[in-house]
Amino acid sequence: MSSSLIIAWIYASPLSTAIRDILWVIPTVQSIHIIAITVLFGSALISDLRLAGVFASDEPLRGVVRRYYPWMRNALIVLLCTGLVMIIAEPDRVLVNSTFWLKMALVVTAFSMTWLLRRPLMRPASHAGSDDASRPVKALAWLSIGLWCVVIICGRWIAYTI
Amino acid sequence: MDIQPLLQAVQDTSVATLIRESGSAFPMLESVHVIGIAIVYGTIAVVDLRLLGVTAHRRGALKLIQDLLPYTWVAFVTCVITGLLMFCANGTTYVQNTAFLFKMGLLMLAGINMAVFHLGAFRRIAEWDTQLPPPRQARVAGFSSLLLWAGVVFLGRWIAFL
Repeated sequence: MSSSLIIAWIYASPLSTAIRDILWVIPTVQSIHIIAITVLFGSALISDLRLAGVFASDEPLRGVVRRYYPWMRNALIVLLCTGLVMIIAEPDRVLVNSTFWLKMALVVTAFSMTWLLRRPLMRPASHAGSDDASRPVKALAWLSIGLWCVVIICGRWIAYTI
Repeated sequence: MDIQPLLQAVQDTSVATLIRESGSAFPMLESVHVIGIAIVYGTIAVVDLRLLGVTAHRRGALKLIQDLLPYTWVAFVTCVITGLLMFCANGTTYVQNTAFLFKMGLLMLAGINMAVFHLGAFRRIAEWDTQLPPPRQARVAGFSSLLLWAGVVFLGRWIAFL
C-alpha cells in the first residue's frame, strides 16, 4: 500500500521526470556504473586471489590488500550513487523487482565480507613472519569472488525480471 | 558486397534462434560478458595507471604486466565468445547500429595502441621498469588505453539504446 504510494511519488517527482526526459542520462549513468563495476571487481579479484594465495604470493599480503581496498570502497560509492539515479528514474521497475532486492542483499553480504577479511590487515604489521592467510580466510576469499559474480549477474537480470 | 544475406543465414541457424528466443540465454550471455568486461578493464586499468606512474602491488612495471596479462587475455577471449554469440542472434540489426560499429572501431584502435606499446616502449622496459614517472611513450600508451577501453564500455552500453 504505502510502498506503491512512495513509488508513485518518486516517479512523478521533477527529478525522476527529468532523468527520463533527457535521453542520454540513463545510458551514460549505466556506462559509469559498469566502469565502477570493473574497478570494484578488478580490485576485488586481485586482492581476493592474493588472500587465497594464488596471485602475487611473493608480495606481502598487507601491501596488496591495502593498495586495492580504497579503490573498492570508492568504486562502491560511485556504484551506489549511479544506482540511486537509476532507482529514481524508474522506481516502478526497480523497487518492486525481487532480483533487485536479492542483489542489494548480496552487495551488503559481499562488501561486509570484503571489509571483515581486510580489516585485520589494514593496520601495519606488528610482527614479522609469514603473512599467509588461514584456510578459512582463503575459502572466504574465493567465496567473495563468487558473490561479486552473482551480484553482476543479478544486476543484468533486473532488466529481464519483474 | 552485401553482408546482410550472410548475417541472415547465421541468424537463422538453430543456435542463433535458440539464443534469440530462449528467455534466459541472452541475459546469461550478457552477464558473462559483463563479468569478462570487469576483468578486462579492471586489470588493464591497473597496468595503464602504472604506465601513468600510479604504482600498484608491484614495484616494477614488467612484473605487474606479467601478473595481470594472463587474466586480461582469458577474460577478453570470454568477451569475444559471448559477444559473437550475441551478435549471431541479431547480426542483421547490429551492423546497422551506430554504437556497435563505433565500438568495433574503438576496439581496433585499442588493439593498435597496445601493439604500438609492445613494439615500442615495452621492448625497453628493463630501462624504465622501476622508474617513476615512466617514459613519455609509456604514459601516452597508458592514457590512450584507459580512454579507448572506457569508450568501448560506453558504446557497448549505448548499443541497447539506439
